[in-house]
Amino acid sequence: MLEINNLHVEVENKEILSGIDLKIKAGEMHAIMGLNGSGKSTLSNAITGRENYNVTKGDITFKDESILEMEPNERALAGIFMSFQYPTVIPGVNNTYFLRAAVNAKKKYRGEKEYDAATFLKFVKSKLKEVEMDAKYLKRAVNEGFSGGEKKRNEMLQLLCLEPELAIMDETDSGLDIDALKIISRGINKYKNNSRSFLVITHYQRLLKYIEPDVVHVLIDGKIVKSGGKELALELEEKGYSWLES
Amino acid sequence: MNVNDYQNEFNKIISRKYFPSRLNNSRQKAFSKFLDIGLPTKKWEDWRHTDLSFLNKNNFRISEANDAFENIDFSKYKIKNTHTLVIINGHYVEHLSDAPKELRVLTNHEYLEQNDWRQKDKKDTPFDLLNTSLCDSGMSFIIDPDTDIDKPIHILFICSGSENLIISPQVNIDISRSSSATVIEQYASETSSFFQNNCVFASVKENASLNHLRIFSNANKTINISSSYIEQSENSNYKYFQFVDSGALQRSDIYNSLKGTNSNCFLSGLTILDDDQQSATYITTDHIMPNCTSSQNFKSVLNNKSSGVFNGRTIVREDSQKTNSKQSNKNLLLSDKATMNSNPQLEIYADDVKCAHGSTTGALDNEALFYMQSRGLDRESASSLLIRGFVIELMEEIENKDLRDYLFNKFDNWLIKNN
Repeated sequence: MLEINNLHVEVENKEILSGIDLKIKAGEMHAIMGLNGSGKSTLSNAITGRENYNVTKGDITFKDESILEMEPNERALAGIFMSFQYPTVIPGVNNTYFLRAAVNAKKKYRGEKEYDAATFLKFVKSKLKEVEMDAKYLKRAVNEGFSGGEKKRNEMLQLLCLEPELAIMDETDSGLDIDALKIISRGINKYKNNSRSFLVITHYQRLLKYIEPDVVHVLIDGKIVKSGGKELALELEEKGYSWLES
Repeated sequence: MNVNDYQNEFNKIISRKYFPSRLNNSRQKAFSKFLDIGLPTKKWEDWRHTDLSFLNKNNFRISEANDAFENIDFSKYKIKNTHTLVIINGHYVEHLSDAPKELRVLTNHEYLEQNDWRQKDKKDTPFDLLNTSLCDSGMSFIIDPDTDIDKPIHILFICSGSENLIISPQVNIDISRSSSATVIEQYASETSSFFQNNCVFASVKENASLNHLRIFSNANKTINISSSYIEQSENSNYKYFQFVDSGALQRSDIYNSLKGTNSNCFLSGLTILDDDQQSATYITTDHIMPNCTSSQNFKSVLNNKSSGVFNGRTIVREDSQKTNSKQSNKNLLLSDKATMNSNPQLEIYADDVKCAHGSTTGALDNEALFYMQSRGLDRESASSLLIRGFVIELMEEIENKDLRDYLFNKFDNWLIKNN
């Protein structure tokens, strides 16, 4: 589903990623672990197409097509979603209205009938239950006055509504209390199936207690230095990262 | 237009027989004072950011009776559920108007007669002096005590006919004791170029309430310079909303005096500009008596080479204890070439007061744009949502739904062109 070949990425003329290779098949969950500054977030930003993340070499393909020339919204419509580490507050833009606009953009892309306000409300309320989120958050501006946990639930709600094929979870566990962490993990586990993949980016092993990645990669200084099964995460928890540094 | 050109127009006014000659003395006085001080230059503190070159380069003449056309399509100005009063080139057109019976509509001549020919005080800025000396039109609207007018009164000021007219109306709005009304002044032009220099006096008496909206939607070569003087008595409420979406230069000077205790004055406005349009809003809220509340809440969205000024001044005088006052000015620049000058000021001479002010100016938030794009919205839809989000809170303060819808419609049309 996602293939990254020899990816080099620069931010402000500084190379952050120096040759990443990664292949995620449909239905797989991969975890990328690494310390702060190792390039984890750069990788997710390069996949989603954020401005100023310049790919200088290599390629990213999604469903066998290069996405490098695609706008962020075209990548999203193709089926890529990122749950943000720090979801942005958008003053004055109503959460339900925004979510409906996003879902309808996707429906339009797929050639399906768009939701009217009433049908969408029914649809979104069924999803709210899955993330145990209070309906009052639908009435607010996007992420405005949300706590850290509420923001992450809102990201999860968007994921459930937009139904991406590849979901990138960028440091989803950071700042979450245990209840919220369990709810998010349950959401991920329930959502995952044979045709949906996850790329989980995390600093700690904490989230991996609740979800089971098929492959764990260790990122150091912009390179994947080791890949393995779930046990690699436990090993990192025990020994830290220094034994992998060259 | 130079001083000699103003002199020519002044001579014409003085010689016109249908203006009451007993005003000639005050006209003369004002005009000689104008000659003394001259037109503002950029060296004047309050005019530093107002570019008058368009006015100075073009000539304008006072209107003649045959300038006023009535074959105007009024439907485009119609606001649902309002009483529309039509004023063409500063003159009230009764047969096109539907004034509510509770509203007394007087000519300024009649109004002055009723008030022993007492002229109202102005600040004597060059344009106020020109308004006094060249005043050729305007009307007075009076609501008697204990009268509530349910539907908004929509006063439509239209400039029609030949180009390059100078129109100097004076408008009086008197809301008597324990009365209430919503008054919308809308300025529009059927010609491409004119100069309107007006003065509005609103008096909100004891226990009365005035909801005042002003819509400035003029043609691109229009100059609108406007002074508003608002006086409030005790227990009165004054709410003001200003909407500016066009014009070569829109300059509003608003002076609000809280002369009675327990009064409220809420001023707000939205300016949306394009091309090289210019808008400047200068406000003075003067707290003279204790226990009053005031706010100034203004926003602008500026595109291309347009420019804006917000100069909000709140004075809290020694006797006005327990004043509660807020100032906020927020501006969104959609282009690198747009400029905004923002200057909120508090002058506090009392010690037991609550005052706050703030100002921000910036471009669209790239983080928010990326966030929205990453959810599948194209950049245009994302920025449109963001710009609308920027103004929505302000617009929702307009309680009357028909007015709010009318202005939202204007805003959305502007947004389609400017996003």
